[in-house]
Amino acid sequence: MTAPTQSAAVLDSHSAVAAVPRRSALDRLLLWAGDHLNPILIKETRQALKSRQFLVTFALLLICGWAWTILGVAWIGPEIHYGAQGREMFAGYYFILAFPLLVIVPFSAFRSLTVEQEERTYELLSITTLGPRQIVSGKLGSAVLQMVVYLSALTPCLAFTYMLRGIDFPTILVILFYTVLASLALALVGLLLGTLTSQKHWQVVLSVVMIAGLLLALGVSYSVAMRVLSGPGVPVASVEFWQANAGFLTGYCGYFLLLFYAAAAQLTFASDNRSTRLRVTMLAQQLLFTGWMLWVWLGPASGENEVLLVFLSFVALHWFVMGALMTGESPELSPRVKRRLPQSFLGRMFLTWFNPGPGTGYVFAIAGMLAALALVLAAEPLQEALRLPVPVAPQAASSRLAFATISAFGVLAASYLTIYLGVGLLLIRLLRRVTRTTVVASLLIQVLLVLLGILVPTVVQWMSPDLRGASYSLLHITNPFWSAGQAVDRGSVSADTWTLLTIVPPIALIVFGLNLPGVARELRHVRIARPKRVAQEDAQLRALRSPPQPIRISPWDEVLPGQEDESP
Amino acid sequence: MAAIDAQPMIELRNLHRYFGATRAVDDVSFCVRRGQVFGYIGPNGAGKTTSMRILATLDLPTAGDALVDGFSVIDDPDRVRRRLGFMPDYFGTYANVNVWEYLDFFARAYQLDRRKRGEAIERVMDFTGLQVLADKPIDALSKGMKQRLCLGRALIHDPAVLVLDEPAAGLDPRARIELRELIRALAADGKAILISSHILTELAEICDVVGILERGRLLAVGTVEEIQQQGRRPQSMVQVRLLDDASALAQWLGMQPHVGQLRANGNAVSFQYAGDQPAQAALLRSMIEGDFRVVAFGAQRQTLEDVFMQVTQGLVQ
Repeated sequence: MTAPTQSAAVLDSHSAVAAVPRRSALDRLLLWAGDHLNPILIKETRQALKSRQFLVTFALLLICGWAWTILGVAWIGPEIHYGAQGREMFAGYYFILAFPLLVIVPFSAFRSLTVEQEERTYELLSITTLGPRQIVSGKLGSAVLQMVVYLSALTPCLAFTYMLRGIDFPTILVILFYTVLASLALALVGLLLGTLTSQKHWQVVLSVVMIAGLLLALGVSYSVAMRVLSGPGVPVASVEFWQANAGFLTGYCGYFLLLFYAAAAQLTFASDNRSTRLRVTMLAQQLLFTGWMLWVWLGPASGENEVLLVFLSFVALHWFVMGALMTGESPELSPRVKRRLPQSFLGRMFLTWFNPGPGTGYVFAIAGMLAALALVLAAEPLQEALRLPVPVAPQAASSRLAFATISAFGVLAASYLTIYLGVGLLLIRLLRRVTRTTVVASLLIQVLLVLLGILVPTVVQWMSPDLRGASYSLLHITNPFWSAGQAVDRGSVSADTWTLLTIVPPIALIVFGLNLPGVARELRHVRIARPKRVAQEDAQLRALRSPPQPIRISPWDEVLPGQEDESP
Repeated sequence: MAAIDAQPMIELRNLHRYFGATRAVDDVSFCVRRGQVFGYIGPNGAGKTTSMRILATLDLPTAGDALVDGFSVIDDPDRVRRRLGFMPDYFGTYANVNVWEYLDFFARAYQLDRRKRGEAIERVMDFTGLQVLADKPIDALSKGMKQRLCLGRALIHDPAVLVLDEPAAGLDPRARIELRELIRALAADGKAILISSHILTELAEICDVVGILERGRLLAVGTVEEIQQQGRRPQSMVQVRLLDDASALAQWLGMQPHVGQLRANGNAVSFQYAGDQPAQAALLRSMIEGDFRVVAFGAQRQTLEDVFMQVTQGLVQ
């Protein structure tokens, strides 16, 4: 259909109602979908269908699929009738399919945003009424569509491998499912990277990083898929298998959402709130992870304190990364953000920490870590109260980590988090006086600080003939990983750990105290009223949505719905 | 409602935008009302595009604010975007997309439903004369047609405010005339239009008001006549022809007040005169009383180009 005809078709769609009395359900569904689909998805689908890159990739995929089918069947030979060669054939098809899914699709997603910036179409797009989340979801939808097309091209081949025997249906499904998840996550990472800069030289650097990362991911996926294929197949009958998958998917969804909101935040107008949604997601992630940890600790791994150690390590790492990003936010709140600040006493007490700002972000990260630590500290009384079973085997009991050791680890982890994020925040505040700092720059500063804390004592130790080869000493007090790690290395709380516990937490308190004035400044923000013009338009829009009902002024007026009780 | 109608559709309030030490926009304030065409003129690097980008919510000011229909571009960019159509000085077109698909995409991006979308595409194609090119790939369009398409894109959601950055750049004379007519028609439709251009003669014909910008500062705002009055005496180019040699007249004129840029050529003299019309009449009378045999005396009103040259100093940053 040519464009004018399409145009006419759209224009005539209403007048055509008279001529065609009833549309089929499918037509109605298609029309509805056409109206409600993301505009970017529609535009990019139109573009992709005409683009050489898509056509070449699709044709190559088909050719490779057919070539492998012919070669594979020839290689198997007569054995195809009685042997079980499905796995080998599947491995070949996976090799062909994984490349477009894990390299082409994510890189196309990355390029679709960078090309928009290069061609300056992004500016035109950004001044439409499409929101940043719609832009990201449109681009992501386009990646999903490409994935579906590539998958559907090789579906007959994959079905063929099942018919060859040697591979079961769940194994095929699980491998494809996780490859699609990986592709989707990589596409989202590509979109996030695409939003980071509009400068050409940085885009080139990011392209190289992206390609290297995608090739690495491709290699990992091949190796994992081959390992699964060389094993006995996925244990679908095992409860642990489904529990592990559910746990993984929970984490995947959480981080996927976080990446999605981060990409959208990057595209959000500077005066808008970019942070609150991300903080809510971070909190939800912690709650989900806590839920899983509790379930594992109370259920399958009842009484295994290592679970608590894994939980604390993960939470500390999670809040370090999130805190490093949050401390890079601007301390100023735009009037637009101030219009929606919490007003009530309780709201200000609990919800202020969700407001954008480096100080609130710092406290938010520490609070997350402290909440996890509090939960772990409460674990022992909980275990006694619930009379949880302890491991029966004597060697297991002896190797079991004591609560005191885990608590010491948690206190040290929380203290190091407070110190590093706090010192980083002080540095960022200083830096902000002379130059503009971004969230990415803040992350780099925080990572650099930790690296310095690890490398400086390590280099000193290497250069000193006396210390070279020595084990942990207080020289490494700035190394958070070794310091906190040695607390659990020895099973019980050692003398070194006690020394650390007397030095590190007080320093953490001092650093926290030094950051308090900055935090307090951010807490002083209060809600401001909407501008008169905004209130005026909001009132007009509200009136349009629910026009005022005519009021009955005489008994003869018609009774309107909802006014029955007013009638005499 | 009267208050809303009375408020300017575009308002720049002490707008500043600095890039390091460069003051791209330095304390600029002006208003554009409904149905008004505001010509934004200035040399390259004067800050026209920067202030237009701020209005289009593509950039943030360092200080000050810009309002569109009373909404701040800083605090309510979403409301501004619903009301504003921006045509930048670049095309911003997609590969593998034809004219109809391009307009359809932007109509969808402005969240127009099926019926409104169809109407909007038809209206815009009709207005810009793009119907015959609906299925032509954008890459294959001429520059003039691309300009029309970009204008169409800016108009697709029927905005009340239009910001057009160099819309006539690179167009042939016919296309320029057509564009001029399109802009006048849009203004007659009640849209507030802010337009920048280097072609001052064209702006003079379509603009109700002009603002002259140099090195980020707004030097003058108003109609050409008003700018002539602002801070300077009105300037006219006067030409006098005598029956005999004009060198004596030139000498005499050199001693008169408000006379500048004297040029004598044979029996003709031209000069710039800063006096008003009664002063011109008095000057003519003095010439005749001074026994100069005047056969022609003509005063020419200043053009926008003259005003521009007079107001600006050719400074760049």
